[in-house]
Amino acid sequence: MIDYQLLIQRYDPEHDNEPRLQRFTVPGDHTTSVLDALLYVQQKLEVTLGLRWSCRMAICGSCGVMVNGIPKLGCKTFLRDYHSDITIEPLAHFAVEKDLIVDMTQFLAHLSAIKPYLINDYSGTTVHKQTPAQLAKYQQFSNCINCGLCYSACPQFGLNPEFLGPAAITLAQRYNLDSRDNGKAARMPQLNGKNGAWGCTFVGFCSDVCPKQLDPAAAVNQAKVESAKDFIISMFKP
Amino acid sequence: MNIPDSARKPYQNELSRWWWLKQRYYRLYMLREATVLPLLFFIGCLLYGLYCLTQGAAHWQSFQLFMQQGWVIALNLLAFAASLFHAKTFFALFPRVMPLAPAALMISGQWLATLLVATGVLLLFGGWL
Amino acid sequence: MQILQTDIIVVGGGGAGLRAAIAAAEAAPQLSITLLSKVYPMRSHTVAAEGGAAAVTLSSDSAAAHFHDTVSGGDWLADQPVVEFFVKQAYRELVQLEHWGCPWSRQQDGNVAVRRFGGMKTERTWFAADKTGFHILHTLFQTSLKYPAIKRLDEYFMLDLLRAGEQVVGVLALALNSGELVQIQAKSVILATGGAGRVFHYHTNGGIVTGDGMALAYRHGVALRDMEFVQYHPTGLPGSGILITEACRGEGAVLLNKHGKRYLQDYGLGPETALGQPQNKQMELGPRDKLSQAFWHEQQAGRCGDYNGHAVVYLDLRHLSRAHLQQRLPFICELAKAYVNIDPALAAIPIRPAVHYTMGGIATDINCQTTLPGLYAVGECASVGLHGANRLGSNSLSELLVFGRVAGEQAAHYASQCPAADSKALSVQSEMSQRWLNRRFGTNTTDSVAQLRQDMTLTMEQGCGIYRTGEGLAHCQQQLQALQQRYQQLKVTDRSKVFNSELMQYLELGFGLDVALAICSAAMARTESRGAHQRLDSGMTVRNDAGFLCHSQLYYKANSLPHLSWQAVQISSLPPAQRSYGADNAAAENSADSTKGTQP
Repeated sequence: MIDYQLLIQRYDPEHDNEPRLQRFTVPGDHTTSVLDALLYVQQKLEVTLGLRWSCRMAICGSCGVMVNGIPKLGCKTFLRDYHSDITIEPLAHFAVEKDLIVDMTQFLAHLSAIKPYLINDYSGTTVHKQTPAQLAKYQQFSNCINCGLCYSACPQFGLNPEFLGPAAITLAQRYNLDSRDNGKAARMPQLNGKNGAWGCTFVGFCSDVCPKQLDPAAAVNQAKVESAKDFIISMFKP
Repeated sequence: MNIPDSARKPYQNELSRWWWLKQRYYRLYMLREATVLPLLFFIGCLLYGLYCLTQGAAHWQSFQLFMQQGWVIALNLLAFAASLFHAKTFFALFPRVMPLAPAALMISGQWLATLLVATGVLLLFGGWL
Repeated sequence: MQILQTDIIVVGGGGAGLRAAIAAAEAAPQLSITLLSKVYPMRSHTVAAEGGAAAVTLSSDSAAAHFHDTVSGGDWLADQPVVEFFVKQAYRELVQLEHWGCPWSRQQDGNVAVRRFGGMKTERTWFAADKTGFHILHTLFQTSLKYPAIKRLDEYFMLDLLRAGEQVVGVLALALNSGELVQIQAKSVILATGGAGRVFHYHTNGGIVTGDGMALAYRHGVALRDMEFVQYHPTGLPGSGILITEACRGEGAVLLNKHGKRYLQDYGLGPETALGQPQNKQMELGPRDKLSQAFWHEQQAGRCGDYNGHAVVYLDLRHLSRAHLQQRLPFICELAKAYVNIDPALAAIPIRPAVHYTMGGIATDINCQTTLPGLYAVGECASVGLHGANRLGSNSLSELLVFGRVAGEQAAHYASQCPAADSKALSVQSEMSQRWLNRRFGTNTTDSVAQLRQDMTLTMEQGCGIYRTGEGLAHCQQQLQALQQRYQQLKVTDRSKVFNSELMQYLELGFGLDVALAICSAAMARTESRGAHQRLDSGMTVRNDAGFLCHSQLYYKANSLPHLSWQAVQISSLPPAQRSYGADNAAAENSADSTKGTQP
């Protein structure tokens, strides 16, 4: 066990006007994750520390935080990879409710806005056929855990919270690319707007931070291509 | 749901206009966007050259002298480097947006096409074709 | 205090809760449905299920076979009419999920692929790579957004059930982001709050799996049934307990002790199968209880390896190709790399058993109805009678869907006919709860929520582990009662309102202690060995159908030990017989009619 220095951003809405950093010393070995360290702080040093977490295995998407300025899942980031002070802050670009807990309301609203469910008029009682190749077209984009790291990486979302953002647009692409879906027409109005795919300037940092390697930047820019096609086709329609 | 007299007081940190200095990744992105600046200079030179060509020999000679100055050569070299850098980033992004073939294949294909077109144009204007 | 009115409240946003909410919205579109959860639905622990969901699929398979596997897998403690209903409905529900967009893994021809799973006679487990629970949860969550009748209250913590006489008429909840109490009046309430694995120390469960719903129903007089049956999953990562799916073994992984030898053939699961040729119900594809018990014996015999101070055996996937691992088990590759720094294509993964699932729970009938009118329970928090003494892997994801639907439809039917409750009485109850809550705050001299919780989890691990003794259980029960005494004295030191984690953990600990005492008390009363409940005391090491072919039912008694009663198991078509795997199973199946018998 060696000692690590954590600088954790604290914000108590009932007493503070703005956030501050607080220093903690936490013992860790080569298996200690940032989440383990935060839970150590909460259990042994500062019971009021607020954070979200659950599964500890990088699938529930709860424990996103900024570690030295980079969005990370706390449970999949390890102290062993840091050598000096480790600064832990709440996810950037979201309003901070308390300490490391941010307000995810807008994120959830963006997800639901793009109609993230199969839209078709299939009424059969058997399964759709879908070959592994058809599955592969959207499978990667279906792996999003809704952790929100990509929104913290996206300066466009930081500048304009109305921007649908990487995860929501990726989810739209996930359904648009599904061979069982006919709902693209219903989703395009959302994607076509300035808060849709065109709000993206392809900074690409979202793909870099995605803990599931979904490449949301690719999805968003594929959506731009779809949006352009949609525009051109609409010009030739009466 | 927010209850009127609730203890909530979410803190929203506004993004400053210098947000792009905060991150190595953002700085790289801004560098890519900034490649347009030296390229603007190069296009300016090109248009100026065309204009001089229409104005007779004297003008053309002054354009040539202008182009031979050290700082102009340096800026144009910078524009060349910037366009190569931009091409590199663009070629890397393209296969992700249009996944038509394996990314490595598409990237080398794009470079190959660039090389062929550039050589062709050089040969054509050099009078070898 | 804010008062909300709705027709149906679903507590819990995991697979069961979401399925129930959707079923209710489809069954009675005029009703308003409130889906309340202490976390955003996609954080619910369904997300961590990996392997798959079972349903009879192949033409060579039959409902009778799935029924037989489930009943014998549960050591004859499952209610057979419930199992019959379940095996018939499961396929339809998995197809329904396909229609909602679940990305099931496919065969080349476009049909859904099925894989082998432990204790199942044939391939019948549908899967979405090794993230089946994740995909089921997200598919259900996203589909739920289609229904305007479903209103969500995300990050609301259920504090109590509201009662009007014997009828449940709503929920009192704490809005975590403001610390305010909200009274939600409803005509029916569905509890889908998940299991209680967090009362143990080594487990595969997320931080939220704290038994809240079980404890609340229990405190209101509903029985907790079959609580002694706690499933140890044989393959968790050492220390963290992170789940390494049974699908690994379905794909052909084998278990090795520290000498690199396979050992399951020594525990009635042999003969040894050839590497890369897994056989259903044999060796590594035996049921979870048997595999975890075999680990315990290897540990006693000194044949376990050591990983950072944890006794381990090894899960070997090296004979599978990297491409196959990446296609079928990508998440396992990712987890092994991140948490034990192992590439499964090159080295065996150290694993050990960890608490995974509570077979028991809130007693319900086949309609998910509890003994309290208006109260329904479904999923891991419930005991509908499906799993008996040991759950088969991949039956629980199907359970969420089959019984989630039943619960939603039944609750909708009830809500459509039931008159609104008297809201005056509810205000009195709510005010009392508010005052009770206000009294929780104060200072502690030595104790803390974290300390008390750790003492509970270690006590449970020691007393109620894979093998149990009368002495150990008695000691555990005493300790738990002492912990409850300490809990009475414990105060919440953080007085803040916004996201008060200490308050939430304090309340969860209170729920957990009640559930832990129920588990321990039921385990003491069952002086036989069956399924996941194994006693070492003499005379108790085998199944005793004459004395214990029945469900334990525990009733809550404040400040005292629970009251216990026994309920007969419903046996409709398959009389108790010897539970057999490996060669014994093949022999048993050859002698066509299974006759009555007990385990040696």
